[in-house]
Amino acid sequence: MVQFTLPANSKVVEGCIYQNKDQNILLKKLKIYRWDPEKQENPRLDTYEIDQKKCGPMVLDALIKIKDEIDTTLTFRRSCREGVCGSCAMNIDGINTLACIKPMNEIKNEIKVYPLPHMKVVKDLVPDLSEAYKQLESIKPWIEKDPETRNDKVHLKKRERKQTPENRAKLDGKWECILCFCCTTSCPSYWWNGDKYLGPAVLLQASRWINDTRDSRRKERLKEIDDSFKLYRCHSIMNCTQSCPKGLNPAKEIAEIKKAIVTEK
Amino acid sequence: MNDNRPLSPHLSIHKKILTAVFSIFHRLTGFGLSIGSIFIAGWIAMISLGPNYFIIFQSISSFFVFKIFLFIWTLGIFFHLFNGIRYLYWSFGIGMELKTINNSGYLVILLTILSTIIVWMTV
Ligand code: SF4
Ligand code: SF4
Ligand code: FES
Repeated sequence: MVQFTLPANSKVVEGCIYQNKDQNILLKKLKIYRWDPEKQENPRLDTYEIDQKKCGPMVLDALIKIKDEIDTTLTFRRSCREGVCGSCAMNIDGINTLACIKPMNEIKNEIKVYPLPHMKVVKDLVPDLSEAYKQLESIKPWIEKDPETRNDKVHLKKRERKQTPENRAKLDGKWECILCFCCTTSCPSYWWNGDKYLGPAVLLQASRWINDTRDSRRKERLKEIDDSFKLYRCHSIMNCTQSCPKGLNPAKEIAEIKKAIVTEK
Repeated sequence: MNDNRPLSPHLSIHKKILTAVFSIFHRLTGFGLSIGSIFIAGWIAMISLGPNYFIIFQSISSFFVFKIFLFIWTLGIFFHLFNGIRYLYWSFGIGMELKTINNSGYLVILLTILSTIIVWMTV
């Protein structure tokens, strides 16, 4: 059943306010979603005031500063701090994006930070992605070869499988995906049908392997995905493309998959 | 594992994006038009049912509320039509770059309003 409202245990309440009373500062307010699995409490929205003059430019810099100086219990994922690992995906100012490449200055007033939408929360800004990873596994994100060609010369000699530049270009707009799931968790269809619908990130990956000329299962891959729930829950709402922090276009790739299924039958 | 985990907020905190609003309206108009068409069909059928019914037809038609209904109906039809054409292109993967998507969205609004005005000025 589609439920538009949050279950009782998930309703967000007002939390603590950490004021900054220092003089002469460039004040920036952050309102951050907090939930502690060790307490039997509802999630809350804590307010932190920081001095932007003493902080790096990105939202992630602010989160790190808060964790270092104000509240060590604040929990979030991060690793590369330069938009290539996909760890710091969260909802900032209403849009899913990477905290490490989102400049604070792009947001006027206070900055609201939530975990990726409609996900089970492990703690604070850390969502449980295990279901999404299972879905990714289901599309077999690796090269698969026919049994006959598996024993060919290239394979036996363990030489690399070369691609022409033209064939390689078919993967442009697909390989760049860092699997941050910003797109998937912005998709209303995924919110309501996430148990069955694969979502834009996984479908973009599907397209990445469908279009790899070194793979010999294009037909089967298309067939496996040709399913009213796995694929056709995409109604071109386009939230995915609007939110991808890497500037990719999952909605278009999904449309291309649908087209390939129809034209290659 | 702790299965007391809360669900993170979604609709309430996510920004309303133009394309998503279009999608919702497309469905609403689709639904509204199919229900409304029953009434419209009944309304038009009255013309053919004889003089008594024709009077009812005329009196309904002169209702101000009915005119508003018709006006919204026209808007709905044109929106659904033009946006539908836009979606048709998308089915072929055409016009799906972010900029084009937003521009074609504005175009749909413009065409909808223009067509509605033209229709209402000619009747
Ligand atoms: S275009 Fe498809 S995948 Fe993207 S947000 Fe819309 S429904 Fe979801
Ligand atoms: S398509 Fe973009 S938003 Fe989606 S997972 Fe890949 S990088 Fe992230
Ligand atoms: S920390 Fe790696 S993408 Fe943000």
